[in-house]
Amino acid sequence: MTGYVANRLAQGILVLFLISLVTFSLINFAPGGPSSLVSMESTAEQREARLRQYGLDQPAPVRYLRWLAGAVRGDLGDSINQGLPVERLLVQRMTVTLQLAGYAMLLTAVFGILFGVLGALHHNRWPDHIVSVVTTLGMSVPNFWLGIVAIIVFAVTLGWLPAAGNATLGGGFDLSDRLRHAVLPAGVLAFSLMPNVVRVTRSALLEVLASDFVRTARAKGLPQRGIVWKHTLRNALVPVISILGLITTVLLSGSVVIESVFGWPGLGRLAIDAASGRDYPVILGVTVMVGALTVIVNLVVDLLYAVADPRIRYG
Amino acid sequence: MRVARRLSVNTRRSVKFLPALLLAVGLVLFGTAAAQEHDPNAVINLATNADPTLNPWAPGAVIESNLINTILFEQLTRYSPEDLSPSPALAESWEASEDALAWTFHLRDDVLWSDGEPFNAEDVAFTFNDVVKDPDLGAQSANQFAAVDHVEVIDDYTVRFVLNTPFSALPYYLASYAGLLPEHVLSQVENPLTDTTFNKQSPVSTGPYKVAEFVPGSHVRLVPNENFYGAEPKLAGIVIRVIPDTNTQVAQLLAGQLDLVGRLNPNALAGVERNPELEVLSQSQNIFYFVALNFDDERFQDVHVRQALLTAIDRQALIDALIQGYGTVATGPIAPLLAALHNDDVEQHAYDPERAIELMAEAGWTPGPDGILQKDGESFVIDMPTASYAELTPASLLIQQFWADIGVQAEIETIEWNAYIQRVILERDYEASVAWWSMPPTPDVTPYFACSAAHTGNNIPNYCSEELDDLLAAGRRALSAEDQQAAYFELQEFLAIELPYLYLWHPNIISVVRDNIEGMPAINAATAFQHAEEWYVAP
Repeated sequence: MTGYVANRLAQGILVLFLISLVTFSLINFAPGGPSSLVSMESTAEQREARLRQYGLDQPAPVRYLRWLAGAVRGDLGDSINQGLPVERLLVQRMTVTLQLAGYAMLLTAVFGILFGVLGALHHNRWPDHIVSVVTTLGMSVPNFWLGIVAIIVFAVTLGWLPAAGNATLGGGFDLSDRLRHAVLPAGVLAFSLMPNVVRVTRSALLEVLASDFVRTARAKGLPQRGIVWKHTLRNALVPVISILGLITTVLLSGSVVIESVFGWPGLGRLAIDAASGRDYPVILGVTVMVGALTVIVNLVVDLLYAVADPRIRYG
Repeated sequence: MRVARRLSVNTRRSVKFLPALLLAVGLVLFGTAAAQEHDPNAVINLATNADPTLNPWAPGAVIESNLINTILFEQLTRYSPEDLSPSPALAESWEASEDALAWTFHLRDDVLWSDGEPFNAEDVAFTFNDVVKDPDLGAQSANQFAAVDHVEVIDDYTVRFVLNTPFSALPYYLASYAGLLPEHVLSQVENPLTDTTFNKQSPVSTGPYKVAEFVPGSHVRLVPNENFYGAEPKLAGIVIRVIPDTNTQVAQLLAGQLDLVGRLNPNALAGVERNPELEVLSQSQNIFYFVALNFDDERFQDVHVRQALLTAIDRQALIDALIQGYGTVATGPIAPLLAALHNDDVEQHAYDPERAIELMAEAGWTPGPDGILQKDGESFVIDMPTASYAELTPASLLIQQFWADIGVQAEIETIEWNAYIQRVILERDYEASVAWWSMPPTPDVTPYFACSAAHTGNNIPNYCSEELDDLLAAGRRALSAEDQQAAYFELQEFLAIELPYLYLWHPNIISVVRDNIEGMPAINAATAFQHAEEWYVAP
């Protein structure tokens, strides 16, 4: 087990190295340059001065090696357009993204599994149809549109919830205030991610419900509730865990659209701003961090398989 | 209902404290509003589209930072709310030498920085000599001060700007995003333009409000600066929220979470115009949109071709289609906003496709078999890159249609904004392209038209003529109002015939303000923000 984890982590480090190399090459091939250099007003002398300041006058391999040497010591460089150390930006934005991801994940998992079970138990009857209408809507309605409509309905017209931001300014930490701010963005995110969980849960459960041991359980008179929650659901859980793992990585890398619409200063917006402003150190930092998170989440998902299904062993 | 809602907004920060709430309720119930002309607890919320950099000269500190820096960093001069002429700010008075080669500024002697240190001539000298004029730092608008050689300290409260060429517009430029930096803080750091403690956390400034909190990606909170030399600020605070998405800005305005949004796209105004609590301001600016024709291309060196290409465009149609009519047709770079200096009586090149075809014929371009104009067997095809940014792409597409009507084929390629700047603005790798210049409200357009700015500076079309350089220099020498008017009227006549740029339109800048906010000069946003100490919220 320990050997397996160590082996996977070593592979992960290799993957991260390759990710950084590919990202660095790609952003250097892209036209344009950091927006603090490449702006309408800047003149040739200003640009040269700034290139020197940022060390961008050095050849690409030198810059990459410098970055790598810093990165292994935990120094990801300074943002070109914002001046701040990349690690500090990542931590700040990650905290916000984690909050949103946490709420959204909770909603997605709870309602996803609930609706999936509902659909499977009432296969091809009206609750199943309602669930499939809801999931189809969730998959097909673009979330930027849903976000703006949600703001107009719940914040502008009804005035129930704040339109944007992740906390009311000026106050200290206040959990209910944080939750109120999270309802709309997390709800919209969950609405569009949930259909995946519903579909996987429903089909996995249907398959297990049709198996012999369920028929036996029914035959010996076990109550329906016990069969579903104790026997079948755990058996249907492996594909659900993998889809939840995938959704976790999506959420952790930050939802660009939702963060922009609801004014959450998270990782997704940092990544987009960095890409459009060609902030090379930030682009690299975000990519490598999201890469690292993906490696870790995948590992955790694989380990969870063994918990859900005792037949799976790593050794 | 409305009273209750406003109360909850205005006292949001103190709502936990019962006494404050009772006081506020008492004020409303017993109607003492007349005795009190402003709400001292009011906090107003503004929006910006990205994280600001709190240093007016920092490389890359542009649209997202300009207005907040205007509140924080006072300048030697500021715009007059009446006519945008330079009026006293940190400088009480100024005068030019007779040859216009030196300007002397007399500073206020009662100004303190927000950390309590006194402001004096050393700060002015430091800002210009050690920051703006240091070529290794690459300060943001340094090129606007190319004519300044250095700044001399005469005594504690007198400085002299020593110039290398006459520069009559200096007091205008000093009012345009030219905030002063504290020498006692920034002379101690390695690079005064990239110090993150200053730029991103706690700058030292002289304005009516100072930074209390900066949460990157979220907001900057300003509170009154107790060391401010002028009248006591009338708000409890100003919060600048970072909201990149325009639709979200509008939704927040409607939800009452924002009180002011500047630079809104006219197409986003729909819900705002119907809201009785919001006021839409449409302000003229010294901005002109243009088609740049690359003068390195021989075809565009013929003035008939340039005039034909402009005459072929129905510019009012562009204004109506692209910005809902919020703009005026440009006849040159100097906007009607500069009432005394704007010359209306120049060549107009009104929309007339027939005339455009005649002009092309005069230049030797006649229709070929496929309807496209030809000269010496070569078709008139223009490579026209554009960016997916603001109105640039739709404007290019409409112009493509107008030009097609006279037999000119424009080939449009849409590229991403950053790549566009690299290719068109920096490398000048284009034949025609739509862009715009946003200038200080001064008639001095030297940085955008002079030979010295061709191929390297802001003279994007690379147009170069000695005659124009002489006219520009004459304007810079003219000190009296009459001399300036004469010089700039002549300049505008020349520019309207020669067409170094094809002038399209002067846009109006749309801002939306909640109707209980008072004391903001209405002439334009920069002026409103230079007078932030006068803002208040009616109780």
